[in-house]
Parts: sequence; structure tokens; C-alpha cells
Amino acid sequence: MADIEIEIDGNVVTAQAGEMLISVTDREGISVPRFCYHKKLSVAASCRMCLVDVEGAPKPQTACSTPVNEGMKVHTQNAKVKASQKAVMEFLLVNHPLDCPICDQGGECELQDVAMTYGSDMSYFSEGKRVVVDNDIGPLIHTDMTRCIHCTRCVRFGNEIGGIAEMGGTGRGEDLKIEPFLQEGITSELSGNMIDVCPVGALTSKPFRYALRTWQMNATPSIARHDLVGSNVFAQTYKGKVRRVVAKDNDNVNETWISDRDRFSYEGLSHENRLLKPQIKLNGKWKEVQWNEALEFTVRGLANQVSDNQANEIGALASNTATLEEFYLLQKILREMGSENIDHRLDIKDLENSITLDSNIKLTELESIDYGLIIGSNPRLEQPMINHRLRKAVLAGADIDVVNVMPFDFNYRINSENIISPYQTATILAEISKSVLKSVHAKNYLSNVSARDSAQSIANRLLTADNSVIILGEHIINNPQAISIAKLISEIAQQTNSATLNISATSNSIAAEMANFVPGQGGLDANAMLAAKLKAYILLDIYPEYDFHNSVKALEAFGNNTFVVSMNSFKDKVISQCSDVMLPIASFYETSGSHVNIDGKVQSFAAAVSAPSESKPAWKVLKVLADLLKLQGFHYEDSTQITSEAVNQNRQKATDERPVSVIAEAKRGIDVIYQKSPYATDVLLRHASALHATKIGQVHLASMNKSTAEKLQVERGKKYLGVPVMVTESVANDCVFINARHPIGGKS
Amino acid sequence: MISDKAKEQIDAWIKKYPEGRQSSAVMEALKIVQAENANSLSAEAIQAVADYLDMPRIAVQEVATFYENYNHKPAGKHTIRICHNISCMLNGADNLIDYLEQKLGIRTGEVTKDGLINVKKVECLGACVGAPMFQIGDKYYENLTEKKIDEILATLK
Ligand code: SF4
Ligand code: FES
Ligand code: FES
Repeated sequence: MADIEIEIDGNVVTAQAGEMLISVTDREGISVPRFCYHKKLSVAASCRMCLVDVEGAPKPQTACSTPVNEGMKVHTQNAKVKASQKAVMEFLLVNHPLDCPICDQGGECELQDVAMTYGSDMSYFSEGKRVVVDNDIGPLIHTDMTRCIHCTRCVRFGNEIGGIAEMGGTGRGEDLKIEPFLQEGITSELSGNMIDVCPVGALTSKPFRYALRTWQMNATPSIARHDLVGSNVFAQTYKGKVRRVVAKDNDNVNETWISDRDRFSYEGLSHENRLLKPQIKLNGKWKEVQWNEALEFTVRGLANQVSDNQANEIGALASNTATLEEFYLLQKILREMGSENIDHRLDIKDLENSITLDSNIKLTELESIDYGLIIGSNPRLEQPMINHRLRKAVLAGADIDVVNVMPFDFNYRINSENIISPYQTATILAEISKSVLKSVHAKNYLSNVSARDSAQSIANRLLTADNSVIILGEHIINNPQAISIAKLISEIAQQTNSATLNISATSNSIAAEMANFVPGQGGLDANAMLAAKLKAYILLDIYPEYDFHNSVKALEAFGNNTFVVSMNSFKDKVISQCSDVMLPIASFYETSGSHVNIDGKVQSFAAAVSAPSESKPAWKVLKVLADLLKLQGFHYEDSTQITSEAVNQNRQKATDERPVSVIAEAKRGIDVIYQKSPYATDVLLRHASALHATKIGQVHLASMNKSTAEKLQVERGKKYLGVPVMVTESVANDCVFINARHPIGGKS
Repeated sequence: MISDKAKEQIDAWIKKYPEGRQSSAVMEALKIVQAENANSLSAEAIQAVADYLDMPRIAVQEVATFYENYNHKPAGKHTIRICHNISCMLNGADNLIDYLEQKLGIRTGEVTKDGLINVKKVECLGACVGAPMFQIGDKYYENLTEKKIDEILATLK
């Protein structure tokens, strides 16, 4: 659009024809008050607060809905504007309670601020005020609807961003109320953003209710590490504790939104299960000791177990929430000691067959795809912010096809949902590949494949789309043909000029790969380490009961005759059973470090608070441990040196020679896809109480169809792998999809 | 919740709009379903309409609570929808409302004990020329007086 010139308060500014006046004034730093306007939502122009005077127009105009045009002359400060704003402000306050002293929004309230600046100090209104009775809308958002000014930001958020219309305006006139449908409450995985968009104290954070005033807290920019996006947040702290987390704008990462998971996980930080003191096990009894004693005990223990030329008897495992620096230091320690037994892939059944697939599309580019193929994922719950970008693409006209084992609740239109048994996933991809290649040098393994219609149409879409992406999700990781699936995807992507997006591993797993936290030449992978029953293990924030694909094997490996060093942020019974020393480490927001997101973007953050009691950031512990072990090359002044070393290290990717197999092996029995609740994917989340009380956090079902249930001899009302059985024909044959919640805090 | 007959009627309305715009039929659908369910819309009825038209429930709830045409409490067999907007008010609507309440022994918003009649105050029905007025079913009764009301009530069975 062409640049034009307009005049605001006597100054000439350039603007783009057709853009709204308010975006020009915002860009120019001219303050125009507003309530209903929000830069990421559609224009409602209902509050009338943004009135400005446009020369030639008889009445004041709303800046949020007045497009600019050449030569326009605008006044934002003259008497006419001031009088209109004052009048509007008075109307808005007619029904607003004067309860600022007991309102959580006080101090960060747009209404309060604007009323102070533009309002009058008295009201002519002496009639009774309207009162709205509140309903409980869920564990995350507290409502005081008497304070609502009907700006409809929350309503538009649901329709436009959240993708489920939850809030709505019922009744009319004086009786207009903003509320969800009946008692259904709010269920969106992004619901917390409504708290941020609400300009008044109608929607506030329930877990934060009546805790503090905003001006009492410090805000430290940080990065949320629960998914592959690394949303930018502010950790708001008071007296050394994180008391609230809110979104921080970053258009390349999370725009202005964050998931509920990122917003409310901080609650876990103050759970009583935190591990606070170093402890060592002497003759089977735990003893709290000083750090130096614990570390010396660790070094001695490692030395006793593993003599000099036996370094390969030691292994290191880390959870995916570790920081880039922690992954880097721990692998460096192991490699300096001479061991290549290093791994972070704990929940994969068969690591020989694990997925390697690069992502080569940026988050912002996802918005402009015109075709997407999702394989084995429920992105809404697994990667909410990636799903948000996909939703934007769909709203802009993109088509998305899905290959899953059961239908999931997408919050956008899906072109076709192909429900297919896991043993057929590789087959359908082979069919797509074959349709793509047509007669062109078809690979051997495609010779017996004949493409079903759905595969052909997906192939056509991939071929004809300008910007397409194939997304590989986490339901595939334990598919026996996972490697073939990943290879087929990259082949199809190459042939069709599509991008690939690998969301099969989450949290900070990309940092783990970057730090080379994987077994090297001759090293054992996570499963092999467990099977080998090594003499010593160093575990970085691992909870054997929850984190491993096979926790029984893990517990066996960490049993007698091994020396297990556990660095943990939380304690639990199993850890104390299987460890010999427990070192308390910092959790989220308590350490500096880096997250690497799906764009490969290294986002570093500082600690917002210090780690509680005697716990310490793991990178510091690892550094001291390295010194005590007399290893070379650990002289770092601060964590940024580690970061740059980790980022710049040379990492060659071995070419993948593993063969592709595309045969559907119906005989292979029943595939179980075990998915943790999105609020149980890491230890901090497992301790965040409000999230667990949400509808998403409560889901606990093993879904399967009737024939699978018969084969497994279970039925409705029974449990399968400890999870209640739900029989539904919507699940593909020979497949159990488990969505398991986690008891809050776990059994400690 | 929605009978086959009602579905047929709703489908006829859906057909009047372009494909994919079935939500345009929401007002008629609510009316049809209301007529079928003792002249009121329960939460289930609203849900059923939402599901049938593939709309968010809250969106249907918004429509159903915005317009006076829909009842959310069980209504009488006949609903007297009496206008109390400006023209009618100036012509004595308030007195007539009092009269109706007295005569029927109910307040506006309530149903007579025998379940026959309920009275609802509504906004302008576009018949100011014959104010004061009310509507029963599809029929407008204009230039009302107490005597006229007596006569009309006598015909309601
Ligand atoms: S609850 Fe808040 S965001 Fe929603 S309409 Fe009311 S004032 Fe606006
Ligand atoms: S901000 Fe312009 S009308 Fe509300
Ligand atoms: S005011 Fe009563 S019909 Fe118009």
C-alpha cells in the first residue's frame, strides 16, 4: 500500500493508505486512550474511548476504526476531543464499581489509568449500579463481572485467537453480560491470555488472586521451556519468589500470547516437594550435608565405582527441560572422562529406530503456508503456539490434512482427517511418495505399493501447493517404523518442495541435540545404558518413575551395585530409593541458560530469582564437579561463555543409512500411543496445581475401539495400563491412545 | 431434542442461504424449536440448535438472549407481549400493564396458575400508530383499552 501523508496535531506523519488511525498514532507515540481496540484482535469500535477530531467530520471519530487517507488532518488533544473523551469515560464508569482498593487489577488497570488521565473526578450518576453475579469459569481465571466494561476483547480473543468461542455477550442493553455458555467454563489451552487482554479487573489470574500489587514485583524477561517455541515471558518476582508469569511480546516467537502451560507452571516452584539440601546415602540412610561434602562424596563415589580405564562404565542422562549450557557441560564432563554414554531421549522404546528429521520452516513462515500435512500429532495440546500459527494459516485459506490414529479436537477447519492404524502410517506415506514420484525412478521399496485415493489427493496437494509443510508429531516416536516414516517424509518433502517440521520431541530437546547430548562413537543410548547396568550414572533432573519409556528397566538399572548421582529440582520416593547422592538444583526461572526453539533460535535468559534454600543452578554444580574431577577446559567466567562454546561447537551429522520399510505388518499386534497430559510433561508442570484442575489437565483415558478392547480383554469401566478404558469406534484398529494425567505432585 | 418435523422446517431455512452459511438460519431455528418445546428454550434446546447448525453454543445463547421473542422459562400457552416503549408508554401502556397484572393475578414474566397466559414487556413492535398495543402469537392488538383487553382475554382458551 502506498505511503501517504497525514497531519496529526499539526505534525506531518507518513502512514499507509487504509490503515487505521490508531496504528499510526501508536507508531508515532501519540497517546490515544482505548479499551476495545487490541492490536492483535479485530476492530470492534464499541467502547468509543478513542475519539479524535478529524477535520471535516462533523463529529469526533473513533481512531481505531477510521482509516487514514491523504491529507487528513487529525487532532487528538483539542477541546472537542477532551470533552468527548471525558463524556465517554463517564459513561463507561456509570456501572463500574469503585472497588479499586480490593481489585487485583489495581495498578495495572487500563480503566484506572485512562480514568485518571481523561476522566472527571465526579459523576452525575446517582442511580443504582448494575451488579453481575459471577459463575465459576474454571481454576485459572477469576471473574468479577460487575467490573466488565463490555469491550469484548475476551470474546474476540476466543473467536479469533483461541479458536473456540467461549466467552460471549448474552442479554442486551442494561442486561448485557459477558459469560461462557451456562456452566461450561473456559477450557481453551490459551485461556490465560484473556486475563492479559481484559483492560479491567473483570478477568484476573485465579492462582495470583489477592497476592500482591503489580508495583511490588520485579519483572525479569525470561523464556518458557515447556515446548519447542520458547515463548517469551516476564517472570514477576517478589521477595525472591516467582509470583506470576505474563506474556512478553515477540512477534517472531509467541506474538503477544502464551499458553496456559507457560503462564501457570510457575506455581510448581513453591511446591513442598522441592529438593532443598544436598544429601548423601550412607549405609542406606540419607544424610543432609554441605555442598562440598556432597560433591566430594560424588567424586569419590564415581572414582570407587569406575577405575581409570573403565570410563565407559559411566553414563549420563538428562531430562529435556535442561538448559543448553547444562546439556553442554554434562556431555563435556562425560566425554572428558572418556565416556560416550550420553542421552536425553528417555521415552523412546527403540532408539535404533528413532526419528531424525530436520525442521526447515520458521514459526512466522508457518502462517503463510497454503497446505499442511500433519502426521501423528495433536498440536493444539502438544505445541499450542505452533498450532496457533497453523490456525492463522487456515484462517487465511490454507488446507490441512491429518493422518492420526483418532480424531482430535482441532480448533480450525481440517480438510481431511485420515484415521489410520499405526502399522499403516508408513504405508500411507509410501503411497503418497509413490503418487508423487509417479513413474519417475520409483524406489525399490515402492514397487509393491499402490496408492489409495486419499494418498493420491494428499500427493496432489503437496505437488500443487506453493508453500507446503509436512509436520511430524510425537505420536510417531514409538511406532516400530518411525525411522521409515521420517525418511519417507523427508523424501516426499524433497520431491514436492515442501518444508518439514519435526515436533516429535519437545521442551528443550533441540538444545540437547545442539549440545551434542547424544551418544557418540561406541557410546550407549539411553535404553542401552539401562540394559547394560552401568556402574555409575549421572542423572540430570530425571524422575525415573515418569520420564522413561520403561520405568521398570530404569529402576532395575539404578538398583544395587551402581553409584547414582541425581541432580534434581524436586524430590520423590523413587529418586531417594535409587540414588546415592541427591544434589538440589534450580528449576525454571531460577537459573540462567538458553532454550533453543524450533527455528533454531538460541534464546538466553537470566535467573529471575535465586534457587531456593541450598539448591544451585545445575550449570554451576556441573562446573564445580568438573573441577573436582580434575577435568580440563572448564574455566568459564560466566554462563554466556558456555553458551557460545555450545553453539559454536562442530557437530557433524552422520548420514543415516538405516533402511526404509513400508510394509504394513498387521500381525504386529496392538500399538499403544502413550501420551502424557500436556500438564504432566515435565517435573515443574507435574507440581503446578491449578493447571491440573483444568479440563485439559483432567483427561485420563485409554481410548480404543471395540475390536481392540476385545483383543486386550478389557472393557469400559476397566483400566488399561492403569488408565480407565474408553471404547470408541473413532480410534483406528489395533491401537490404544492413552492420554494420561498425573497425580499432582506425584507420590512423594 | 429437535423433532424430524422441526429439522425439516429448519432445513428449509438453511437452504435459503448460501452453503456453509447455515448459521444464518439460527433465529428461525430457535423459533421452530421453541414452538415445539412448550414455547420456551431450555439450555438443552439451545445446545441442540447450536449442534444442528454447527455453531458455538455461546453464539446461539447470545442470539437467544438478545431477542425478546425467545423465552427461557416455561411460558404460558399464550404469551402476551406488551409494548412499553415510548409511543405506547405515552398512550398509557404502564396503566394497561398494571391492569393486566391485576386481572391475571401475575406479574410480568410470570405464568398464570392454569398455565394459560404469561405477560412479557417488550420493546417497540413497530405499531406505534396504534399505541398502546400488544401481540399474542402472530397477531397485533392495537389501540388497547381496559375494556378491549377484557374482551381479548375472554377469547383466550
Ligand atoms: S471481561 Fe474484560 S475483556 Fe471481557 S468484555 Fe469484559 S472488560 Fe472486556
Ligand atoms: S478503542 Fe476505538 S472504540 Fe474502543
Ligand atoms: S412504542 Fe409501542 S409499538 Fe412502538
